[in-house]
Amino acid sequence: MRLLDIFLLSLSHVKKSRMRSWLTIIGVIIGVASVVAIISIGQGMQENMQERLGNFGADIITVIPGYFRATGVHSEMHTDRSVSTSSSINLTDKDYKVVKQVPGVMYVNGIVSGKADIVYDNEKTVVSVTGVDTSVWRLMDTTGIDEGRYLQTGDSNSIVVGYNLAYGTFLQPVTLNRPLTVGGKNFRVVGILKQSGGFGGGSDTAVYMPAEMARGVITEKVANNQFTSMVIKASDASLVESIKDDIDQKLMSSRQVNPRTKDFTVIASALIREQMSGVTQTLSLFLSAIAAVSLLVGAIGIANTMFMSVMERTKQIGLLKAMGAGEREIMKLFLIEAGMFGFVGGIIGVVFGSAISLLIPFLGVQALGFGGDMRATITAETILFALGFSVVIGILSGIIPARYAARMRPVDAIRYDQ
Amino acid sequence: MNIIELEDVWKIYRIGEVEIPALRGLSLKVKPGEFVAVMGPSGSGKSTAMNMIGCLDIPTKGRVLLEGQDIAALSEIELARIRGKKIGFVFQSHNLYPTLTTLENVQLPMRIHEFSEVQIWDRSEELLQLVGLSDRANHYPSQLSGGQSQRVAIARALSTYPLLLLADEPTGNLDTEAGGEVLDIFAQLNAQGVTVVMITHDEKIAERANKIVRMIDGALAS
Repeated sequence: MRLLDIFLLSLSHVKKSRMRSWLTIIGVIIGVASVVAIISIGQGMQENMQERLGNFGADIITVIPGYFRATGVHSEMHTDRSVSTSSSINLTDKDYKVVKQVPGVMYVNGIVSGKADIVYDNEKTVVSVTGVDTSVWRLMDTTGIDEGRYLQTGDSNSIVVGYNLAYGTFLQPVTLNRPLTVGGKNFRVVGILKQSGGFGGGSDTAVYMPAEMARGVITEKVANNQFTSMVIKASDASLVESIKDDIDQKLMSSRQVNPRTKDFTVIASALIREQMSGVTQTLSLFLSAIAAVSLLVGAIGIANTMFMSVMERTKQIGLLKAMGAGEREIMKLFLIEAGMFGFVGGIIGVVFGSAISLLIPFLGVQALGFGGDMRATITAETILFALGFSVVIGILSGIIPARYAARMRPVDAIRYDQ
Repeated sequence: MNIIELEDVWKIYRIGEVEIPALRGLSLKVKPGEFVAVMGPSGSGKSTAMNMIGCLDIPTKGRVLLEGQDIAALSEIELARIRGKKIGFVFQSHNLYPTLTTLENVQLPMRIHEFSEVQIWDRSEELLQLVGLSDRANHYPSQLSGGQSQRVAIARALSTYPLLLLADEPTGNLDTEAGGEVLDIFAQLNAQGVTVVMITHDEKIAERANKIVRMIDGALAS
């Protein structure tokens, strides 16, 4: 029998038992829709994370005072707080020199950061101040300049401002060469950074000035030979992990601390990114597994329907066999039917799942404490995967009933009392 | 050559430990152009005989020859093919495929045996005309009367140009008038040269055939 004819015969069954077919398909729809929605949300979550972490270059290592046993999410996210509460254990010139001598370290930027009042156009607010080493900052920054220039060696009363500070903080946008006052001192804006969208928008609302100027304007006390953090650029991103460990060892011996009394933390953002995406991956895998259960229920629904229709159609199977249809043809007849349930359920499920995914941002759900709005990313791969998977599931759940039907002996099938 | 020949056929069904012999050495020959009625009371083994004649089952002992060929020598698939093509079945009831129209039902065996589209359409229309149901071509089996269903079943059984039309109580579920019409068609077909074997328990119906084979206790009544 030609495949098209078998297909049309299957179709005639599906059409004749509409109610049952739709109920079976609904089971698949629910399964596929939840799988699509969850995969899309998981992917959205991961992309969100990547973007937020994206501005920390893969070759950047940060040293901050204070020790966080759980290196990872928290130490990265709350750098500011840690600095303000541990002003007595700031990093020093000596640490700077130690770090600079670690093999593989390309640049070291000694940073002095804190808070200061800012006055612009008679408006006053509090701003994050980041004092940088003007000789290396422009070589290490990954945000990029939107307008004007980076700070240079020799700059003193010049500042660069973050994008959001320039365009969102004051009634009048901050423009190049405009004077403003930070911590009571006058500065001139020489550059505006691009928008980074980084964690908590830190760099977007900060002002950047030479470190020596920062010491004088921020409310925190940082001595002349001290830094609140150091940002290190490694010569090769692939060496980040070993350089990080090296810095850790060297600083421990120079500061005369052991792992128990350690008073600083070395962070490689690339490693954090790996950890974080590992976490989100595990999370979305877990959620997908839950969604897969509903798909399994859908599969059982198909198997159940197929068994019922095999029973109901025993006589017809007998007829087909008497007319010369072989096991393979009967098998195909039922598999196509089961596959159709999977396929139709898959298509509608993908539509529903995508709709749910697209609605997610409007629900304003906060993403599991990572901050920011939740969103979902639907990819062609997800859709194809869901479709393929549902067809396969349909066929798989049809195999046992189909085989049962195919192996019926024509005599028994014809004599079967309905 | 005989179309079908049963040589000392035994069929023993086993239910648990108990052996039930349904056929005990049945021998039977059907020659081309015959209209044979296989008669017998219930329990005489008619249905089992019909399974043997229709090559739907294999004997426990003895031989079934279809056009001189022993069916035991064929594989399951070969047997299904040959059976489907050479024997046209008309059963007592539930003959038609309920999800297909009258026309599609008649076409089904030709589709199974992969006839060309032209053949399929020409033949199915011709056969519906033969049984007088051209106007019911697009009706579903549920919309047909019992007599009409059996006529569609006959048309379908004929579609692959079988050697033999094998009917199992074809009028069993019909009233006298509809039954008569169905029997008329068999007689008419036989007159045109179609070989017919009909299983029945009804003497009056058997009388329409030109040869009656009587069975009792799984063998020919002598």
